[in-house]
Amino acid sequence: MFSEQAPPTAQGLLGPPSAEPPTFPRVPVLGYSDCSGPFQLAERSFARQYAHVYSVRLAGMRPVLERRARGLWGKDVLVRKLSELQTGEKCCVVGTLFKAMQLQPSILQEISDEHNLVPQPPLPKYIQPSDELILEDELQRIKLEGAIDVQRLVTGTILAVYGSEQDDGRFVVEDHCLADLPPPLPWNGPSSDRFVLLASGLGLGSGSGEALLGTQLLVDVVTGQLGAEGEQSCAATISRVILAGNLLSQNTQGRDTINKARYLTKKTQAASVEAVKMLDEILLQLCTSVPVDVMPGEFDPANYTLPQQPLHRCMLPLSSTYATLHLVTNPYQADLDGVRFLGTSGQNVSDISKYSSMDDYLEILEWTLLAGHISPTAPDTLGCYPFYKSDPFIITECPQVYFCGNAPHFQSKLLQGAEGQRVLLVTVPEFSTTQTACLINLRDLTCQPITFSSFGAEDED
Amino acid sequence: MSQPRRVTDSFPRRRRRGPGRPPGRLKDKGHRDKEHRDKEHKDKGQHDKEHKDKAAGKEKVRGSPPDPALLDMLRRFDLCWEYGPCSGITRLQRWERAQALGLSPPGPIRDALLEHGDHPDVTYRWVTPRPI
Repeated sequence: MFSEQAPPTAQGLLGPPSAEPPTFPRVPVLGYSDCSGPFQLAERSFARQYAHVYSVRLAGMRPVLERRARGLWGKDVLVRKLSELQTGEKCCVVGTLFKAMQLQPSILQEISDEHNLVPQPPLPKYIQPSDELILEDELQRIKLEGAIDVQRLVTGTILAVYGSEQDDGRFVVEDHCLADLPPPLPWNGPSSDRFVLLASGLGLGSGSGEALLGTQLLVDVVTGQLGAEGEQSCAATISRVILAGNLLSQNTQGRDTINKARYLTKKTQAASVEAVKMLDEILLQLCTSVPVDVMPGEFDPANYTLPQQPLHRCMLPLSSTYATLHLVTNPYQADLDGVRFLGTSGQNVSDISKYSSMDDYLEILEWTLLAGHISPTAPDTLGCYPFYKSDPFIITECPQVYFCGNAPHFQSKLLQGAEGQRVLLVTVPEFSTTQTACLINLRDLTCQPITFSSFGAEDED
Repeated sequence: MSQPRRVTDSFPRRRRRGPGRPPGRLKDKGHRDKEHRDKEHKDKGQHDKEHKDKAAGKEKVRGSPPDPALLDMLRRFDLCWEYGPCSGITRLQRWERAQALGLSPPGPIRDALLEHGDHPDVTYRWVTPRPI
């Protein structure tokens, strides 16, 4: 890609270097504003229960869903609460979905002595044909049946169903709808080519050195130390790098220090210490050249519950002295050069894939945007902070780039909405396994992968 | 909450009785708030006496005692389902959340909460008296 865009008169590599090496100034940052305010936690009180999260989620999304229901099923459609339902009357109900799953890991079952159960090993999917959907509103709940895909939906989604209640107390659904895309933002994107590099899953500290070559190549491309002048001039159009989580590998999460005896582990250092030092050195190289946004991920030294707070700057002493390093939250929302980015490190999408029949990360990403909520399964199966004032995961304005990190492969899609929304959906692959990062062109919202493959020992040239 | 919650937030400290006073309810008007609290939390008297010693430095609440009618109105505000769950947050926080969501909670409640902001019976939700 870079080679195609390079001007043909640029100096190639097969010749002596020019007498005066040209300099390529990086494109200046046109505008940056961090909109992750709602994801930053000031006071952290865990004394509350999670009922507040569901209550504000429903209260916040109810007007949106009622408006959409009236648009779909007619202005005169009756919107009823569950307590006002009458048998046989066709009406619309808005509520939170709960999926009763037999295989869902339940801490109460695990510690129950009478069942004598061995704790269930983590499964890739917890869905079963016997799962049931239950709709809850502020006061009551009712079982749903009919034209609704039980396997696909997950707990915590707010949706509107249209149908009628039967004599035996079930609600037969004829049609249902989600919140659909939020209202669009005005387009302020740049008029010339500008790129943002998205990478995730660097996986440092994994013990194998093969991924390190790819990481170093990535850093060299971005800082303009790779390729001839043509490639360097194109790399100068990269205005930002976003690292979407899992900078450390899962191997650094060893629990040996907890399980083993103290005299065995006294002198050993946690694996993550070495990995964070490596991360600091890599970030130092990047930060001297380009603004970097670092999001924490599942295996990074940050809190477990969503929203994950930024990594602490004392862990990165070398690179945090540079103002180009931005340690940000997960999920992350910001206006980069006029384009609204919203993304996570992938925990929300992988959690939904465990409890739904959807497998494709891009499909799930699109579904979360259509449901109007970044992570509906929090707090049920994904850790979440007990909010009480408002649910910050509700998507109120349609982002222009919506990404999730740590996906198995790279996929991207441009979604067009009915009200003029244009969203680029990107699933950023895990760099440690795929050696692939994504380059997003902010001018026309296109995305392409860039792979740094190195020849392995078994490859023949 | 930034301040650590104490047991005396839910179970207010009873006034220390002198050695010469007989046990039982005092019918004096001056001790009306203590008597009132006795009525609400009479079965927690045992707990109060234990925690009274442990809660060092907790000042006894002064000022005009809140009306039973006011406390009743606040209790009805707690049990109103439209404004969401009432546990774990102060009544003022709940009122402000309802206001932000556009549910228009009644104004007099907020005035009452601000006026008696130092009284634990008013600030936090109504606690069910523990059965004996």
